[in-house]
Amino acid sequence: MRWGGPPPWRTLPFFSLFVARPQSVLKTLARAMFVLLAASTEAAASSGAAELIQRFGIQPGYVVMQFVSFAILAATLYFFGIKPTLAAMDDRNSQIASGLKNAEATAAKLQEATEQAAAQLKAAQVEANKIVDESRKAAKELAERETAAATERATALIAKAQQAIELEHKKMLADAQKEIARLVVATTERVLAKQLTEADRAAYNQAAARELTSV
Amino acid sequence: MAAPTAKIRAYAKQLLQLSLENGLVSAERVAGVLAYLEKNPPARPQAVLQAYHKLVAAELAKSEARVEHAGAVAPEALAAIAAALGKRYGRAVTYVTKPNPALLAGLRVRIADDVYESSVAGQLAALSAAS
Repeated sequence: MRWGGPPPWRTLPFFSLFVARPQSVLKTLARAMFVLLAASTEAAASSGAAELIQRFGIQPGYVVMQFVSFAILAATLYFFGIKPTLAAMDDRNSQIASGLKNAEATAAKLQEATEQAAAQLKAAQVEANKIVDESRKAAKELAERETAAATERATALIAKAQQAIELEHKKMLADAQKEIARLVVATTERVLAKQLTEADRAAYNQAAARELTSV
Repeated sequence: MAAPTAKIRAYAKQLLQLSLENGLVSAERVAGVLAYLEKNPPARPQAVLQAYHKLVAAELAKSEARVEHAGAVAPEALAAIAAALGKRYGRAVTYVTKPNPALLAGLRVRIADDVYESSVAGQLAALSAAS
């Protein structure tokens, strides 16, 4: 059974009419009672009908009393039994309907919140992707700069090493040249010391004296 | 040994001036100066004598050419060198010779603080230094 809907017994035509418009029902019953009373009175006046009423034991006074008793019972049941119960049930139905309405509103809010969260998640994902892209770009630029700097340093080191090698090579050549010259001079000194004769020395001394005299 | 003071150096210079004769150091005058110092010793005689000896040696070196040689050298060549140096320094220059086989051949002349050389060893040294 669906909560908030009318109970099955309220769907009966008479009951629903009695619940919805009890005064009109009572008025209708009273009118019918008077019509029957009048009819019985008129019938009593006629001979055939009076005999029939006499045979079934119908007395207008009792019928009226029955209708009055029924009306009192119906009014009492309505005002002290049915009406409070219906009011309580209506309140309960209204509360259930309100709860359902709130539940729907809550579901709508939940849906809205879900959509909002999804939108925020999507925006966050976009932002995260953007940050990741920027980070990758920055990392790439940094790597390129570092690579360029490393290349420059390596080039400078290579150039410095080449200069050092060239200087070392020149120094080695100079040392070798100096050593060769020293060996040549030493050898020449030894050879001259052995080969020069006194005549050669005297002649050289004479030339040296002329040179020193001209200084 | 303490360095001679300015006063001692000035006194030694005065003694040197007294030791010169015609611009040359005279042995007689030096002997006279020493006799004077012996009779009249200064306040610091050792310092004065050392300063005087230094100045006399320097003065003698100015007028004495020491000629190192390898091999025989003609006396005329030595005399010509002394004459050329005397003309150059404006004083009479004497010479003393000293054999130096390390020169291989040639001459090396020292006068005062100057050195003149024309020798095979010197040329070989110059050649070695240039290379």
